[in-house]
Amino acid sequence: MIDDIQTVWIRYNLTERTIEHLQIFTIALLLAIAIGVATGLFLYRRRRYSPPVFSTLNAVQTFPDIALLILLIPLAGIGTVPTIIACVLYSILPIARNTYTGLISVSPELLEVGRAMGLVEGDILMKIRFPLAFPMIAGGIRIAIVFTMGIVTLGGIFGAGGLGAPLQTGINLIRPDIIFVAGIWVGLLAVILDGIAGGIEAELKRRFGSW
Amino acid sequence: MHAKRPFERIDSIALEGVTRRFGDTVAVDDVSLTIEGGELLILIGGSGSGKTTTLRMINRLIDPDHGFISINGIDITTIDEIILRKNIGYVIQQIGLFPHMTVRENIGLIPKIEGWSHERIEERVKELLTLVHLPPEIFMDRYPKELSGGQQQRIGLARALVMDPPLLLMDEPFGALDPLLRRQLQDEFIGIKEDIGRTIVFVTHDINEAFRLGDRIAIMHEGRIVQVGTARDLILSPADPMVAGLVGSDHLYRHLENLTVQDIMRPVSRVCLLQATTSISSAIALMTDGDEEVAVISDGSSLPGIVRVSDLLRAGQPSEMIGSYARSPLILTPDGTALSAISGMNGDGDAIALVMNGEELLGLFTPDEVLRRLV
Repeated sequence: MIDDIQTVWIRYNLTERTIEHLQIFTIALLLAIAIGVATGLFLYRRRRYSPPVFSTLNAVQTFPDIALLILLIPLAGIGTVPTIIACVLYSILPIARNTYTGLISVSPELLEVGRAMGLVEGDILMKIRFPLAFPMIAGGIRIAIVFTMGIVTLGGIFGAGGLGAPLQTGINLIRPDIIFVAGIWVGLLAVILDGIAGGIEAELKRRFGSW
Repeated sequence: MHAKRPFERIDSIALEGVTRRFGDTVAVDDVSLTIEGGELLILIGGSGSGKTTTLRMINRLIDPDHGFISINGIDITTIDEIILRKNIGYVIQQIGLFPHMTVRENIGLIPKIEGWSHERIEERVKELLTLVHLPPEIFMDRYPKELSGGQQQRIGLARALVMDPPLLLMDEPFGALDPLLRRQLQDEFIGIKEDIGRTIVFVTHDINEAFRLGDRIAIMHEGRIVQVGTARDLILSPADPMVAGLVGSDHLYRHLENLTVQDIMRPVSRVCLLQATTSISSAIALMTDGDEEVAVISDGSSLPGIVRVSDLLRAGQPSEMIGSYARSPLILTPDGTALSAISGMNGDGDAIALVMNGEELLGLFTPDEVLRRLV
């Protein structure tokens, strides 16, 4: 059993594939965080835009991921780039929505006290709203991690590499052992990453939590 | 680095014809009020009476629709609102400590923004924690959730005092505490108040708190100021039945009815007794030394008279004898009710009486003193 796993692992370069997978994952997630937080912040500043933007992002969310990857072919071809684009498109919503919600739902007393102390709006945003929104934003990022993990794997089918590639090989060759090893490993990775994210979220809640 | 203060101390705060609407509701309706420097003015009223809105207009959290507010004669809309607020401490019932900051960070937030050095902030935080009776080494690095309600409120007060503001606004700061703790914090606050000696505007709906803490009390109802005065003014001459009900004029009189004049007079042993032949100058010296406003002239034989220090100060010749400035006081019997005594005196306008049992002087009876003891 262990030997079989080892054979598959070495034969299909799962170490390299894992590194590749995590690279794509990390790039996609960092981009999604940057764009998601920026979107959330923008919508907090220009609240009237929030209904249309969130509706659009929701629509993107309901779109099947495989269909999205296919739609991206004429625009971005196949491989790593469309996979990252798809990951980001899916992950903006939870991050942006949680950032927005976190920023606007700081308790009115804290904001009143902040203003009454003589804090300027920028200080209120950076020293009060953002830190207090951290746990909420972390929750959004945690959802994005699960999305991204799934889409990066799917992207492997469209030539992005990563752990989707050996899975695709297994499917093509009808090799349950490869599918089993790569599949379980992807699942395990997702659980581990989610666990780490959950730990960070809990810590943020403990430190910054007023929720 | 340190912005110049728009005012170092408060001489007076004036609200002139201030009105503020929220939608169709008039929250504050044509309010005019003068707050004197150094006093603790209470704004009291039920919910929706406009007391909190009035308070918030002083640090411009809310701007009035009509009217002006000035501090030391300067219209506050001409002062940069950030600078204004840094010079006005603000404490609210919900306290509003930032949950993601330690006690040190909460108190030191504005000093840090102002660019104080780390050492200076630390020193100031320690000083303030000591002032509010929390040992700095224990509390400096705690988070708000690790504190009890009473401790949080003390930190809230310390934070409001960090920039040493000449003016402090407090919105029901003790309202969320249980009665025992509230009482304890009020007591401590009275002590702190004397230490810090600054002007305070204090919102409450608790008349007992108002009487305990306030120098003057402004009663608000439906956005208007109904009456402003000391506790004594309000109890003895309430402007209308609403005020009488609020200050519990009846309630206090019920107490007075149960007490006799003898119960609440100042006994003769603590009364300043002088000879009619005493010179005005030495009488003034004796009375001011003992912090006495009134002295009794007692020669044993004739009916005693009283002299007031204020009368003596207006008198012409310091060498004159005080006998010629004696007034003949009201005489009360020791067994009469305090209620009828006070009612009679208030109508009379001469607010001092002697308590006599036949020829024997038993004590001095002044409504001021009675009220101080009952309120």
